[in-house]
Amino acid sequence: MIHFERFKLDNGLTVLFHKEASTPMAVVNLLYDVGARDESEEKTGFAHLFEHLMFGGSVNIPDFDGPLQAAGGESNAFTSNDITNYYDVLPAHNLDTALWLESDRMLSLAFTDKSLEVQRNVVIEEFKQRYLNQPYGDVWLELRPLAYTKHPYKWATIGKEIKHIEDAKMSDVKAFFKKHYHPSNCILCVIGNFELDYVKERVDHFFGSIPKAKKSARILPLEPAQDRFKSKTIVRNVPADAFYYAFKMPERKNPGYYLADLLSDIMGREKVSKMYVDLIKKQKLVSEINAYITGSMDEGLFIITGKLNEGKSFADLDKEIWKIIAHYKTTLISKKELEQIKIKLRTARAFQDQGLLNRAMNLSFFELLGDANGINQEQEIYQSIQAEDLRTFANEMFAKKNGVLLKVKKKKNA
Amino acid sequence: MLNRQVAPKLTPIKSIEFTVPETFEIQAGIPLYWKNNIANETAKIELHFNAGTTIETPILASLTAGLLISGTKTKSAIQIHHALDAVGAYYDVSVSQEQAVVTLYALNSYLKQAFDIFHEALTAAIFPEKEVQEICNERQEKLKVQMQKVNVLAQRKIQQVLFEETPYSQVISQGDYATVKRTDLIAFHQKHYLKGLSKVFLVGDFSKDVMLDIKTACADFVGKAFQPVNCTFSGKAHVVHQEKSDALQTAIRIGKIMFNKTHPDFISFSVMNTILGDYFGSRLMSNIREDKGYTYGIGSYMMENTHFGYFMIATEVAKEVREATIQEVKNELERLQTELVPAEELELVKSYLLGQLLKAADGPYAMLDLFSGVELHGMDISFYNKYIQKVQEITAEEIREMACKHLDWKSLSIISVG
Repeated sequence: MIHFERFKLDNGLTVLFHKEASTPMAVVNLLYDVGARDESEEKTGFAHLFEHLMFGGSVNIPDFDGPLQAAGGESNAFTSNDITNYYDVLPAHNLDTALWLESDRMLSLAFTDKSLEVQRNVVIEEFKQRYLNQPYGDVWLELRPLAYTKHPYKWATIGKEIKHIEDAKMSDVKAFFKKHYHPSNCILCVIGNFELDYVKERVDHFFGSIPKAKKSARILPLEPAQDRFKSKTIVRNVPADAFYYAFKMPERKNPGYYLADLLSDIMGREKVSKMYVDLIKKQKLVSEINAYITGSMDEGLFIITGKLNEGKSFADLDKEIWKIIAHYKTTLISKKELEQIKIKLRTARAFQDQGLLNRAMNLSFFELLGDANGINQEQEIYQSIQAEDLRTFANEMFAKKNGVLLKVKKKKNA
Repeated sequence: MLNRQVAPKLTPIKSIEFTVPETFEIQAGIPLYWKNNIANETAKIELHFNAGTTIETPILASLTAGLLISGTKTKSAIQIHHALDAVGAYYDVSVSQEQAVVTLYALNSYLKQAFDIFHEALTAAIFPEKEVQEICNERQEKLKVQMQKVNVLAQRKIQQVLFEETPYSQVISQGDYATVKRTDLIAFHQKHYLKGLSKVFLVGDFSKDVMLDIKTACADFVGKAFQPVNCTFSGKAHVVHQEKSDALQTAIRIGKIMFNKTHPDFISFSVMNTILGDYFGSRLMSNIREDKGYTYGIGSYMMENTHFGYFMIATEVAKEVREATIQEVKNELERLQTELVPAEELELVKSYLLGQLLKAADGPYAMLDLFSGVELHGMDISFYNKYIQKVQEITAEEIREMACKHLDWKSLSIISVG
């Protein structure tokens, strides 16, 4: 059980506080309700580029990282298709420094041309390093537009193409800030050995005077229901043929989300899953295979992926994948297997909750979903899932017309 | 009224309380360290074996480690993995140059059961031919992917040149897989696992009896106290560029053999290294990423082995700025060697390092890792008190001296691939 307190400032900032008496550190986490899905199709990669600019100095403080490091702390951030999350970890007695820095960059950025120019280059190098200069690195740049035709999940967080990042202008940066970076679009979470009154007073001191702005309604293009199975083949300089089956799965707030998550755990289990045993051990069809979910706020993807062994064909594999899928559609998972998965989930969760930062991010994320207390209810939901639920769910999700397949074919004489 | 231009007052860290685990002896020279009072239900056991890549060959060390749970006469690999899953345990094995470390994670009420399952699997492992072939196939495929990455190629190359003509230079190549025989793995297992346990770290709240049972069972694998291969390194600097025509970026590694914690300069060098490249505001990051935008990231690191350490600068940069990047690294080293670090920067780095140490000592798992870091060198936890003191006292002159004494440009090997 993770206890927390919640309060709201007049300007709309939601604040969560979780007291942890055993640590000398403090965590300050800020989740801004903005991600790549809020970008326009002509200017993708912007939420992430913007995250970089948030470290380029704010209206009253020329340098973000320096003062935090001088306080013994460290900071970082990540951007997803749904959210942008910033965090600071520092000695608890210097909590003020993190609140001071974060409140100033929520108030306004410095918006220097130099910062924009440099971070454009940094992000372009990140684009190359992570997506273009790695075998299979561009898979998500291809898979997303195959699976989504209208919804902004059709582009990756890094952006559709480098050109969008090159073209980013200061006026875009300012407009993006104005729209998304204000108190009512943010959830602040503080963890440490403090008293609630103290946290209230300090947060109000630094954040209270930031002007209120209206949270803009999010109207995203709806993804039309898929009516047929789609597949695409790309040829790349890779060592082995690889496949990515992707099925549309329920959005984060739908109870089906938990079924998809548990089913992916069952199907993707290392060393023991049916897929592993049948396709790797018995048939020697693939060298690796896995299943996982994207876990996004809106309709997400359930992925089955792996690499073919030399000499095996996509057609052979396809037959076997559908056999495996048919198995989960028709056969109930044994009680024993379900228990194994549930106890593994309990272990994983206990280890995750150890980390302060993890707790802060999870509390903030559940608050975004509607109630931070969801963090304390999640295990119960998983533990209550029955084999019948999973079978029924598999029948819905694994409808063929609900899926896409991306094949990455090895370039000849590569 | 809040004046946002004024930074809040900072409170410096003066001291940190370090704790040590309880120590038991499995056998003379083979310790078991136990940390309890965990405040949650997590537990883990870490078994350290003298089974790293330098003890024989990397291919044998790597495959044996990968096959520890490959089946016994009575149980298949799948059955054993199922048994571990049934107690909700996670299993992990990592092989470094000097050791193989097996870690089991579980809830404290299940750790003993998980350990018993692993104990039986390890004791009676038979390395079935089929499992050997499977892992060879899987690893060969993974290696093919790795060998397309410029950072992997550069890392392998610098390892080969820094440690040339010693076992530390060995890396796994595709051809190695064809040479492996099942019997070699069995022999490696016999020698380096069944008689290779060098120490055990245990975390979790359970009764002392449970801990003692685990300790007794560990005695089955006891070998000699850990003693890595002793080698001397040529120290010769190499400059190598490998062209990879289809690469979009160039990976750069700049490094040399260095010392570890046991050396009197270690702490001072670490502070200098932090200023150079070991935090987000470092000189390398400020110059090469934040000013020039050449890279997504650049850093410098100190790596430690039992008898030595090594120093390394690592980055991936746009192909056309390879030379410019190396020149900027050289400039930054020269700045450290000729100019004194400004007081403000030095103070910042001192506070940063102490804050990071406070974080590194936060919680039982973190504290045990700190302990492990000194235990490896036969040192005790008071090292960290010395560290705090040295960090607080160090002067700009000493920083400059460290850069001059240890980072002569001509002594560094420079590898680039891309």
